[in-house]
Amino acid sequence: MPEKRLLFKNIDVPGIDGIEIYEQHGGYQSLRKAVLDMTPDAVLQEVMTSNLRGRGGAGFPTGRKWSFLPKDGRTRYLVCNGDESEPGTCKDQEIIYRIPHLLIEGVLTSAYAIGAEDAFIYLRGEFKTGYRILERAIAEARAKGYVGDNVLGSGRRVEITLYLGAGAYICGEETALLESLEGKRGNPRLKPPFPATAGLYSMPTVVNNVETLSAIVPILQMGGAEYAKLGTERSAGTKLFSVSGNVRRPGNYEVELGKVTLRELLYDIAGGPPEGHEFKAAIPGGSSVPFLTPEKFDTPLDYESLQAAGTMLGSGGVIVLDERACIVGSTLRLMEFYRHESCGKCTPCREGTMWLNQVLQRIESGEGRPGDLETLADLCSNIDGQTFCPLGDAAIGALASGLRLFHDEYEAHITKGGCPLGEVVR
Amino acid sequence: MNAENLAKAKELLHRFPKKSSALIPMLHLVEDEFGYIPEAEVQVVADLMGVTPAYVEGVLTFYTLFHRQPTGKYLIQVCRGLSCQLNGADELSRFLYDELGVQRNGTTPDGLFTVEEVECIALCKDAPAVQINLDFYPNMTKEQLRSFLDKAAKEVRSGA
Repeated sequence: MPEKRLLFKNIDVPGIDGIEIYEQHGGYQSLRKAVLDMTPDAVLQEVMTSNLRGRGGAGFPTGRKWSFLPKDGRTRYLVCNGDESEPGTCKDQEIIYRIPHLLIEGVLTSAYAIGAEDAFIYLRGEFKTGYRILERAIAEARAKGYVGDNVLGSGRRVEITLYLGAGAYICGEETALLESLEGKRGNPRLKPPFPATAGLYSMPTVVNNVETLSAIVPILQMGGAEYAKLGTERSAGTKLFSVSGNVRRPGNYEVELGKVTLRELLYDIAGGPPEGHEFKAAIPGGSSVPFLTPEKFDTPLDYESLQAAGTMLGSGGVIVLDERACIVGSTLRLMEFYRHESCGKCTPCREGTMWLNQVLQRIESGEGRPGDLETLADLCSNIDGQTFCPLGDAAIGALASGLRLFHDEYEAHITKGGCPLGEVVR
Repeated sequence: MNAENLAKAKELLHRFPKKSSALIPMLHLVEDEFGYIPEAEVQVVADLMGVTPAYVEGVLTFYTLFHRQPTGKYLIQVCRGLSCQLNGADELSRFLYDELGVQRNGTTPDGLFTVEEVECIALCKDAPAVQINLDFYPNMTKEQLRSFLDKAAKEVRSGA
């Protein structure tokens, strides 16, 4: 099955980043429909019916997340998570830079549905140009009456405020993002209370990923029931997959969940491995998830199937490695990332990533000692499920599976005093 | 901060439902103006925000895009995410270090270039990727880097 484009339907239309062209292709019809013809609860019901699940990584049902907001009359906020920092993931970047109005429409429609007058879009600090692009898109939407004190003459106010982070992977975790948005260090908060009851400025808050909020637009266009027919029963709709690494046609591809296998995505859509090479392993859901080896590439790309195969769908960031890539070097590279990005708040993550990094470094450089692999496995089990936020589990995802699937390669680094493949990845 | 940025900083105090949110955008103003966060500006920001300089330091040191030391006119950030590394990111960094005679995070003596290796910048499909100041450079090659360096140095010499 080829690509199935809902979000990316018009991405190649020249000028689609401007409001006029966007409107000519059906843009802002979902917002109109919601604000002019539907009650907020009816919009929520459509999203419930669509079975949309969060596209940031956790896959939590979006409608249910919205329904957790207490009906107590307090100010509510919508926060869009545009901190896209998961290695291997570059889908939100393409939405923001190329189809900014899709995101703005999704944010406005969702804010209406949950009864939020203020919505915030938090962008990672590197997206400064994306910030300017969204700033311009919001100004265009304001001139059309989509943003402001009186959206489409409905008497409803929805305002969008942009916010630029400053370089911290952990701010993709929703409570760390809220801390950062409040102008603080991005340390995750203790949960409960969850953001739905005490989020931004302690008010009821929904935090959704860029792709999730963008999906609200086609959901209202086609109706939740039609959207739910796409994909599988529990993994409905389409999902963007970022394919990168050792592959012929890297890119962002939108497919129906569960209707395409990892092999089809990598070969039929992304063109297979570079000429003369073969795939060795793939990380299908961003750098935080376990490896799959080619004998499992026939796994359909949906939440349940990937979990059954021992990994996760995560953010949909597929990093693929060919036979030239050293697994030790690759997992070291990932561990350096997590060590750098650990916020330092809790001990297993802060100290664990440091020690994993040091032992891996030693193995990779040919100075590994007998017992080092046991030390790595032991460190992993001391982090697994023991940290304050999901970063700890994320840090060991690739390594723990690498140690199982490529044990010989780690062992060879120790016994041979270096990489048996010669100098490759690093 | 210069007068223009000071006015922007004061405007920031009222942009968000709570004043505390203004701190990070304010630090961006300082970083953009100076290329780093000078000690004296920490005090300026603290006074505007009504917090202690230590609090400001606590926040700014959490975020890697805020620099404590001056950076060059061109901040060259080579992405070292796994996808970029699989596609030759290390060669790009090594090329820059050799060409400019600097080490990691170093700045050339003329203050023109700073070279950093940074974590994933979300351009994985365009690996290897480099960010120079605001701009993303997809599928970067040594040749492209060389012509960028030459052009930038020439512009500066001719006083552009």
